[in-house]
Amino acid sequence: MDRKAILTEYVKNEILRNKNAQLDENEDLLSSGILDSLAILQLVAYIDKTFKIQVPDEDVVYENFKSINTLVGYLQQY
Amino acid sequence: MNDVIIIGGGPAGSALGAYLSKAGIKNMIIEGATHPRPHVGESMVTSSTRVFKDIDFLKVLEREGFVHKYGASWHAPNGHEFAIEFSEFPQEGIDQDYTYHVDRGKLDLLMLKHAESLGTKVVQGVHVKKVLFENDFASGVRVEIGGKEVDIPAKMVVDASGRQTLLGNQLKIKVKDPIFDQYAVHAWFVDVNRGAETKDFIHIYFLKVERGWVWQIPINEEITSVGVVADKNVYRQAHKDLESYFNEHVITNPDLQEAMKNARRINEFKAEGDYSYSLSKFVGNGFMCIGDAARFVDPIFSSGVSVALYGAKYASERIQHALETGDFSEESLKPFETRMRAGVGIWYEFIRLYYKLLPLFTHFIQSKDHRIEVLRLLQGEVYDRSEVPVLDAMRRYIETVEKSEKHLMKKSLTSISID
Repeated sequence: MDRKAILTEYVKNEILRNKNAQLDENEDLLSSGILDSLAILQLVAYIDKTFKIQVPDEDVVYENFKSINTLVGYLQQY
Repeated sequence: MNDVIIIGGGPAGSALGAYLSKAGIKNMIIEGATHPRPHVGESMVTSSTRVFKDIDFLKVLEREGFVHKYGASWHAPNGHEFAIEFSEFPQEGIDQDYTYHVDRGKLDLLMLKHAESLGTKVVQGVHVKKVLFENDFASGVRVEIGGKEVDIPAKMVVDASGRQTLLGNQLKIKVKDPIFDQYAVHAWFVDVNRGAETKDFIHIYFLKVERGWVWQIPINEEITSVGVVADKNVYRQAHKDLESYFNEHVITNPDLQEAMKNARRINEFKAEGDYSYSLSKFVGNGFMCIGDAARFVDPIFSSGVSVALYGAKYASERIQHALETGDFSEESLKPFETRMRAGVGIWYEFIRLYYKLLPLFTHFIQSKDHRIEVLRLLQGEVYDRSEVPVLDAMRRYIETVEKSEKHLMKKSLTSISID
């Protein structure tokens, strides 16, 4: 699976806790309330564990975590 | 004449009595209450084990069947649980990967009896009116017995009177903490659903109110202690009786609500206020203050009994030195204060950053770089340390978040100042 699919699965299964949930790759995860602060921290820990990428603290900003697509785009530098 | 008079027979006073008696120093504990008496502070950290081992008390804890505490678990308001186990971080000089949850009435009675069995003279139900001073040195205490005042002399006086802070009040050296004014409402319950694998852990449930959290501590097979803690203003503004206040908060955390579904209360609600303070000095000519009588910090990490026990351990070392040299001056006793202040200062800073980070603290529990260092602190390893890198990391993290206008965690930090 590519990163996009892996992250989408993770958000569905572990954060929304509903594997049948509809989740568009451009959906705004923050305004919609899908990701709260604890969920973002979970996601950061998961990215570290799964992709071996440590997201620097200062990069945890709206632009990078807005949607699955922006997150995958941000992670491309690693 | 007694070498040392100890005011108060809680964990600090009894542990000190035990240490001194083992060292052959004549000492007497004067306790105002008659044990057993109820007391809050029912959970401990693993570093306490060293002191219990020193004073041969571990076998009593095992014989009496106190509940083993193997870890701690945090429940966020959104239903996520984060747990730590003490076995992940083995501690030097400690052979067990658990500490204890205790009925303090029972623990404190057993510790007092233990000190007595080692040679400490114990009197209970006797109220100390004040510490006597002669030529600017503490010289004994004045007690009230059968309506009459009696003076008892000693070479040294140790105040272990707990939150009563007898000497702190007498000398007017008690300073209220500028940040923490927490208020706790607690009681014992039966039929609390403690969970499965983590049923013997302490459970902490975050509340959405300012600095709010709830403890769940197993006292024995049946009884569980549950307490709601929050900034005192939260209670003041609620305008409610203790029970409605308690219940109103229980339903705000889904995991807690589930745990308390069938719970039945078996004693009266009790309230504790005026939480954090420190004396401006812990020692003076001929006296020392240990445990809560010297300083009290917020109880979130179950640090209180451990601070009391290490206070007793380090005070006993300094008292032996004073008796050997005949020097009971403030200067001679000062190294005790320096050591305790440094240790309790680390607890305080950890607690302050924790409240600042809430609930982002879980970030550091989940982090593979910081987890072990957080555990080390949670297990009470705060003494004789020159640096604590994880606290620096927490401060840096807070700074990063606060500096960046768009940081997603900005709103999650609480309003506590960390300068």
